[in-house]
Amino acid sequence: MDIQLNPIPVTAAVKADPRQAAQALGRLLRQTPEYEAFLKELNVVNNHPAVQKISTQMRSHQNALRWSPKNASEHETALTRLETELETMPVIQDYRLAEEAVCRMFAEVDTIISQAAGVPFATNAKRSGCGCGG
Amino acid sequence: MLTEELQNSARTLGEALRASPSMQTYLQAQANCAADLEAADLENHLLALYQELVGRQQRGEALQRSEIDAYNTLKSQVHHTPLIQERDAALRLVKQTFTDIADDLNFPLGTEFAALVQTGNM
Repeated sequence: MDIQLNPIPVTAAVKADPRQAAQALGRLLRQTPEYEAFLKELNVVNNHPAVQKISTQMRSHQNALRWSPKNASEHETALTRLETELETMPVIQDYRLAEEAVCRMFAEVDTIISQAAGVPFATNAKRSGCGCGG
Repeated sequence: MLTEELQNSARTLGEALRASPSMQTYLQAQANCAADLEAADLENHLLALYQELVGRQQRGEALQRSEIDAYNTLKSQVHHTPLIQERDAALRLVKQTFTDIADDLNFPLGTEFAALVQTGNM
């Protein structure tokens, strides 16, 4: 981690409460057109019968691989086919575009937070080991 | 392109994080580390050795046991340097602060901000 800035005195100008600042930023991000579009596409994906059917089939193969590795290559082949089928569906492609737009926006926001904080924010704030929304 | 309101809000959060006690402790500990030539040299030496060994491995070269032992000895020496220990302990507190604050950011979103940032960087 490359810290180039020196400690600064805490002045009144920077005494905003970080919890309130985080909540305010979260509310602003939630209201952006990019995030609204992302939630809309996520909702479409979550309620799409064909997506649900493929997701169920994928879970079945994943469970088979996890609990009984017999016929692993068959399950892996089926998983690859289903993943390809899923990713080529227009509804998923629309979702991916919305997700990319949000990720780009969040990355820009993270850069500003990190520059002002003096250390990378998202890298040090990550709680879970996986992404969301797909 | 982010709106000015979003940019200001992000900057306000960053500045508030920087002013937090855990960040101030970390920045001071980091500055103490950087100012100590011995600690800085040790860390730089460790990083250079790590990069050299990884580079040789990636080129298909088998490393000698003695080289790996020398690396582990140096790594242990670095991690037992008091100023570096203080800085690393302070960084762990910063991570805890950031994770807690991120929960407040995540709540209105209903998702994990940091995970989406990482998804975008992959």
